[in-house]
Amino acid sequence: MYPDKLNKIIDLFESLPEDERRETLVSYSDNAKKQEPRDGETFDLTDVRKDEECADTVGVFLKVDSDGSSHIRMTLGPEVQTLTRAMTAISCKGLDGCTPREILDLPSDFVTRIVGSELVRIRSQTIYYVLTRIKGICKVYLDRQRMAGVA
Amino acid sequence: MDRNSPIGRLCKSGCGDPDRDGCFRMNMNPTAYAHPEALVETDWLEQHLSDKDLRIVESNEDVLLYDTGHISGAVHIDWRADLQDAVVRDYITPDKFAELCRRNGITPNTTCVFYGDKANWWACYALWAFRLFGHEKVKILNGGRDKWKAEGRALTREATKPAPTSYPEPKKRFDKEIRAFADEALAQSKAGKPLIDVRSPGEFKGDVTHMPEYPQEGVLRGGHIPGAKSMPWKTATNDDSTFKAAADLGKIYFDQCGVKPDTETVVYCRIGERSSHTWFVLTYLLGLDNVRNYDGSWTEWGNKVGAPIERGA
Repeated sequence: MYPDKLNKIIDLFESLPEDERRETLVSYSDNAKKQEPRDGETFDLTDVRKDEECADTVGVFLKVDSDGSSHIRMTLGPEVQTLTRAMTAISCKGLDGCTPREILDLPSDFVTRIVGSELVRIRSQTIYYVLTRIKGICKVYLDRQRMAGVA
Repeated sequence: MDRNSPIGRLCKSGCGDPDRDGCFRMNMNPTAYAHPEALVETDWLEQHLSDKDLRIVESNEDVLLYDTGHISGAVHIDWRADLQDAVVRDYITPDKFAELCRRNGITPNTTCVFYGDKANWWACYALWAFRLFGHEKVKILNGGRDKWKAEGRALTREATKPAPTSYPEPKKRFDKEIRAFADEALAQSKAGKPLIDVRSPGEFKGDVTHMPEYPQEGVLRGGHIPGAKSMPWKTATNDDSTFKAAADLGKIYFDQCGVKPDTETVVYCRIGERSSHTWFVLTYLLGLDNVRNYDGSWTEWGNKVGAPIERGA
């Protein structure tokens, strides 16, 4: 149901007691910066914007290889909350190598399995925002591919 | 001023100083905070981190922010998990409050210094909740987490493990004194008494039903309670998240909002956190002793069947 890399992360979180789950989320959050574009990298699509429902600017960068596998990089403004940072690192790692179609079809229920019900609340719905943005860029990519095919 | 007020020996601010009568001292053109002792500065706190009988309490919107680093010795009190009932939309019961204090090393004589993100929204909310249970020794770190961090002061990830304390179960919750319910907000509206809506102008006008940069929290109608004055909470703060000077606050709330010392005031927002900030300003910095926080706020009012609503500025 989920890509292997993401499945391993989900399994890890589900095996952790609450305090270690929090520590691990903070650790992922600390590593969110490692998901930023690196020098020399090029992308098929770039989407950097500040949306009404998120506290700061979020950038999504998509690279699709010739075999269809994709790689996501992300940038986050300083006001983005810790949980959202953690989900950014988790999503970039867990979805690496998936095709844009696989990402688009991914159910979002894995988010609560990682974060745990204790930390999910109305005001932290932006944890879903990261996945929405990743799916959004994949959809644009697929739409463009389809248009190019028609043309 | 009710000298027999059950919430404190003198007034609702709970300064506990019989010679300091916040209500009577308060005037419409203040030059100083009515209760300056309710604020501590970052310099002071850094020098008193190990004080006996002092407990630093961090309360944030960002649910993991405390875990990323906190002031040494600070405990974390979560606005939802610790202060609210898990099932009913209400606060915890007095016995659970006592238990919360015991496990966080707080006694009735402990001075709690609250701080947090968002210019102390949630710190003020936690402080207000502590007052709801009659805990009198409460202070806010002026500027909160933002200022502490901007000044390069130390944060630690070392877990704070306070020794359990004894805290007797409060005899009651002081809902009547500092909390307003929907019917009381309606009565306030009908009587034309001061009602302050501290949400953003767009929420007040009814153009949007969520605050900027936040998800929708399930409100069916937009607008404001009839007669309410719009004064966004942030008007009371400086760019560094500290509170504005007393004279400026006096102009904002007395002159622009029509707040008066002898008339009850009700403040509200969406769920009562931003209005806790304004409640703190009016109660502690301007010395009013008749301010109540309508914590049901717009998520209740905007969904309530038949509740009167005004739209526009």
